Amino acid sequence: MKKILIIAFLFTTTISFSQYYKTYNWEENPKLHELTENENSKSSIAILKKNIVEFKQSAITNNISVYETTHSIIRVNDDTGIAKHNQIYISMYNVKKIKGIKARTISKEGKVTNLDENNIKQIENVEEYGDFQIFAIEGAKIGSEIEVLYTVEKEFSPFGSKTLQFDYPIKRSEMVFITNNLTGNIKTYNTDQTFDRTYLEDKLIEELVLTDIPATVEEDYATNDANKIYVVYQCFGNPDLTQEDFWNNIISNIASGFFPEKAAKVTTEEVEKVILKNQKSDISLYTKANLLENYIKNNFTVIDNRNPQANEIDYILKNKSASEYSILKAYAHFLKAMQIEYQVVVTANRFEHKFDPDFYNPNALREFMIYLPEIKQYISPTRIDYRLSEAPSNILGNYGIFINKDVEYYFAKITQYDPDYSRIKRVMDISFSDDFDKVIIDEYQEYSGHWGIQNRAFMTLASGQQKEDFKDQLTGSGIEDKNLIKFEVENEDMNQTEYNLPYIVKSITNSSALLEEAGDSYIFQVGKVIGIQSELYQEKERVHPIEMQYPNQYNYTITVDIPKGYTLEGLESLEINKRMEVDGELLCKWLSEYEIKDDKLIITIEESYYINEYPIEHYEAFRSVINAASDFNKAAILFSAE
Amino acid sequence: MKKNLVFFLLISQIIFAQNTIDFESEDYYYLKKSEHVKISLEKGKLSFTNAVYEQATYNTGNKLFFANEFIPFSDFRKIRDLEASTYLPKENKTLKVAHFEVKDEVGGITFYSDQKSMNFVFPAVSKDAITTLTYFEEVNEPYFMYSLFAFGSGVPTKEMSYSYEVPKDVELGYKTFNLDNTSVLFEKKETKKTTIYTWKATNIDKYESSKNSLPAIKYIPHIIVYIKNYSVGKVKTAVLNDVSDLYSWYTTLTKQVDRSNLESVFTIAENLVKNLYSDPEKAKAIFNWVQSNISYIAVGDGYNGFIADGASSVFTKRYGDCKGMTNILYEMLNHVNIKTHHTWIGSRKKPFSYYDVPTPIVDDHMIATIIIDKKKIFLDATDAYVPFGMPSSFIQGKEALIGVSDTEFEIVKVPEQAKEKNISTIETTVTLDENTIKASEKRTFTGYRMVDFIGDVKRNKNDKTEEEYLNHKYKIGNNKTSYLNINLGDLSAKDSYSITYDLEINNYVKKIGSKIYLNLNLEKPLSNDIILIKKQRFGKKIDHKYIKNYITTFVIPEGYKLKSIPKNSSNELELYGYSFTFKQKNNKLVVNKRIYMNTLALESEQFEDYNIFIKSLIKAYKKSIVLEKI
Repeated sequence: MKKILIIAFLFTTTISFSQYYKTYNWEENPKLHELTENENSKSSIAILKKNIVEFKQSAITNNISVYETTHSIIRVNDDTGIAKHNQIYISMYNVKKIKGIKARTISKEGKVTNLDENNIKQIENVEEYGDFQIFAIEGAKIGSEIEVLYTVEKEFSPFGSKTLQFDYPIKRSEMVFITNNLTGNIKTYNTDQTFDRTYLEDKLIEELVLTDIPATVEEDYATNDANKIYVVYQCFGNPDLTQEDFWNNIISNIASGFFPEKAAKVTTEEVEKVILKNQKSDISLYTKANLLENYIKNNFTVIDNRNPQANEIDYILKNKSASEYSILKAYAHFLKAMQIEYQVVVTANRFEHKFDPDFYNPNALREFMIYLPEIKQYISPTRIDYRLSEAPSNILGNYGIFINKDVEYYFAKITQYDPDYSRIKRVMDISFSDDFDKVIIDEYQEYSGHWGIQNRAFMTLASGQQKEDFKDQLTGSGIEDKNLIKFEVENEDMNQTEYNLPYIVKSITNSSALLEEAGDSYIFQVGKVIGIQSELYQEKERVHPIEMQYPNQYNYTITVDIPKGYTLEGLESLEINKRMEVDGELLCKWLSEYEIKDDKLIITIEESYYINEYPIEHYEAFRSVINAASDFNKAAILFSAE
Repeated sequence: MKKNLVFFLLISQIIFAQNTIDFESEDYYYLKKSEHVKISLEKGKLSFTNAVYEQATYNTGNKLFFANEFIPFSDFRKIRDLEASTYLPKENKTLKVAHFEVKDEVGGITFYSDQKSMNFVFPAVSKDAITTLTYFEEVNEPYFMYSLFAFGSGVPTKEMSYSYEVPKDVELGYKTFNLDNTSVLFEKKETKKTTIYTWKATNIDKYESSKNSLPAIKYIPHIIVYIKNYSVGKVKTAVLNDVSDLYSWYTTLTKQVDRSNLESVFTIAENLVKNLYSDPEKAKAIFNWVQSNISYIAVGDGYNGFIADGASSVFTKRYGDCKGMTNILYEMLNHVNIKTHHTWIGSRKKPFSYYDVPTPIVDDHMIATIIIDKKKIFLDATDAYVPFGMPSSFIQGKEALIGVSDTEFEIVKVPEQAKEKNISTIETTVTLDENTIKASEKRTFTGYRMVDFIGDVKRNKNDKTEEEYLNHKYKIGNNKTSYLNINLGDLSAKDSYSITYDLEINNYVKKIGSKIYLNLNLEKPLSNDIILIKKQRFGKKIDHKYIKNYITTFVIPEGYKLKSIPKNSSNELELYGYSFTFKQKNNKLVVNKRIYMNTLALESEQFEDYNIFIKSLIKAYKKSIVLEKI
């Protein structure tokens, strides 16, 4: 468990000095650093990454300025290392002034090449990231050290964060946090280390030094990005503010737009004339909410630009266009018009960020959801691929702040209500062509829950090759010469109104590659019919806790015709039984069994993941269940002539 | 009196019936797309204005994201008077777009460019909404007054037209592609002062690319138009009459490259060749140095994108784009008396010829060409791993425009590299330990096989463990394979590269009763390569020709004898082929497998044969050996 530490700064009586960045500088005569053989075996390694964040209040105007200095020295040991570090992008988001950009390379031989400042370019309004200053590092060779130092003055914002872990190792990471007697808090995440208070040139500062930070590790079933080491800080003029004040403040902001007193006239009209037209008066709340969501998603566009009007409700309702954030206002008015009780949930994508109720960080408040407490379902307002559902996988398991119409709020973990929500049911009938050259698979599948929603969206929104690839996945991927003879789907419209209606796939495929010849016998790669299964490798110790997309369950029945004149052998590879139990509770399992009835082999498989978060100490058990599926994928049986 | 003398010239008649496209089954489609280019000549200055018009409609609410529109532009190609609106038929209401914003385009392989885009969102789109977009495109540089108009995009279109209006004193060049057997109509109309060329079509289908396709533009009907020359009074000014005009413009650009301060560049070149006596050795040393010491960073910045850094600057910065890398090769090689020329070339995704359309549309790349013993060698140092003597894979078969002198040039085709240059040899010794296969394997690569492997392994080195990487790449045996003792070898190898490792594969052999069944095809290249003929609309692209040689030695376990081995099989065709042979020597079974690809492209008429070939290969892969207890 991480220690939660909030540090309040004391007032000190020191007089104010000039900003630290003014005296901070790199070595005038740089020398190459000594690295170990292991360190030099990495494509690149940071010798130093330093962040200085300084808040300073003007004695004359009382305005607070923020200065951020970034300093890095990186050794590049091969061409991919050079390619990773020789293009620098400095975000100009909220930047008022650049206080100097310097960059240089120090070659193995000690030759220094300085950046020609004329080669710094400005780029503007890049995707959703805003403006940047960019430049390419000059003089970088294999074995060089690339050093970059710059300071920017930013618009005052009391909040900020810095990521301290990257996809390359770091020998020493330093962060200096200076508030110049203003009240501030700082908190570290994904490390046990915390800030130390110390003096720097007579200023009381907070300092964090981390050594030997490993490169980030990408693992399956993990929230890799959210698990990076990072720091969040706050600094403001008023010493009496508490975390609660911040939350209250943001909640009243949110509430003003998301809980209108009265629905806009046009929305009540639309509800009557369009959304509920031809509907019976006793339709369920689920259907009602679905009709509303279908209406908005078929008529409103979420836009990604700097148009401030996209946040104004009149503009939104007239132009049926809204920013990612303000599309909720449209939902709010329609929900109000339909008298549906709802809450607004503010949270983050759990793969990017773990929401922390104890430390206010507006950067983490990126996902806005609508929660219908009566039916315990969520609307994902910005996702055209989703419809009313259990919490989608990107937010499931994260904490969120739930706000109701009375502007009351509570923090809660976002959970799944129906444990059986997402299932895949497959029934396969397998036969062989007379000459024993082809396997014929007649398959019926039902996809419910998230599976159903995702399949509908993919088959509707994808086109061309993507769609073909997806059809391949839906009919068992990895069958080399698969021939799709029949492919039919049911309940494929994204705009459904019935609770958890399964997406149905009926297909007939054939393949010759599934049958191998061995003398006068045939080997049937029966395991391959379930498609490629993920496999967890573990040569290195597992780093991240296990997080799956969502709980889900698979039930397969595979019936194989035994041709006349043949006997079956090697059936034992079909029987696999793996399970993970913690404190007597079954958390996940794989069970495959078979029986022979008359001239048929009947294989049944149950694969279940009842929860989506598993403790890291049970990783091996989890892995054995996951890998049971890929083991079964390799199962083969032998047909011998009698 | 007739004011205008108008006459029509109909070149292509409608030969085929109109396509039948089910527009109603589309979520979104274009009602009309048109471009009208007007060239004017005033006071001896050419100007280019293209009036663009697009009207689209929504049949469903599924794909409202088409409302997000962006229009690219740059310093060379500016846009003005952009207007966009949505018409809602049910309400008989039109909503205009009021918010436009400019974004810089970055990403992809280009680090910095002057490419920008104008972005906006059509308001209130929903089922039945009709969106309309109009704007003007302007070009001031005559060399860029070319344009390409395609009758086809990712969305079907009801009506398309493209016209080009030029004053009589401007001579137009144009070339049509893939218009035969289409319903595109052409019309040439003379007015008093201008000539108007118009192409029109209705019911144009959508074009969707599939995996490993040749470029769509190779198949989509299109027209490329450019300015050949213009006259002011009796003075005729050439723009792009032919390749020599294009080349002479290119030389004006290369002449602007900074050639000063070359001392350090020359010193390096001299040191590199100090102890070398033959030109090929010298050229190779210099090429390899540039490959290893200069990083490739693509920059496209107005005219600077055409002129690029000189050799001295590239040397100091240690990076350059393709032109910068060519400039440094040019200086270093010429300095050691190896004749070197700047060479313009298009990558394989640009299926154009200098002879057809002598415009900058043909090329997107620059390399250096050296001539040693009258033989041309193409040097592309942007590919950090390609062996000296081979061009980069993505320019094989393309026209190279070689700048011989200020006035002379030569166009030659970069040869497709023979399969014998790109060989993977996989030597495996397989033993059986109870139910586990234990194997030691050595893979040796040459040519593009080497380029691909080294590039790939370096890119993945930091993100994946070596074992995971190899498992993903080769899928040897099954994914229950452990890789041990991996030796990545010398990743800086320039001619041939080898990697060795041991394998342990569980769950792969089948032991039943007194018999063991084992498929020695631990890898099955091309077994996933069946082409979905109905879906593969364009030709299939193959990166390079190659040979894969598998030499697998199976050690028969003690106490067992071979009961059945597959028959030798082969299917060796001109474009591709395989042969499998099985030979028993004492307690060993040696399997020799050779699989080759001898073409860079397969067109649709070849698909069926290719599928038959792949199926026969799969059949060969299906055969296991059977061992029996003695």
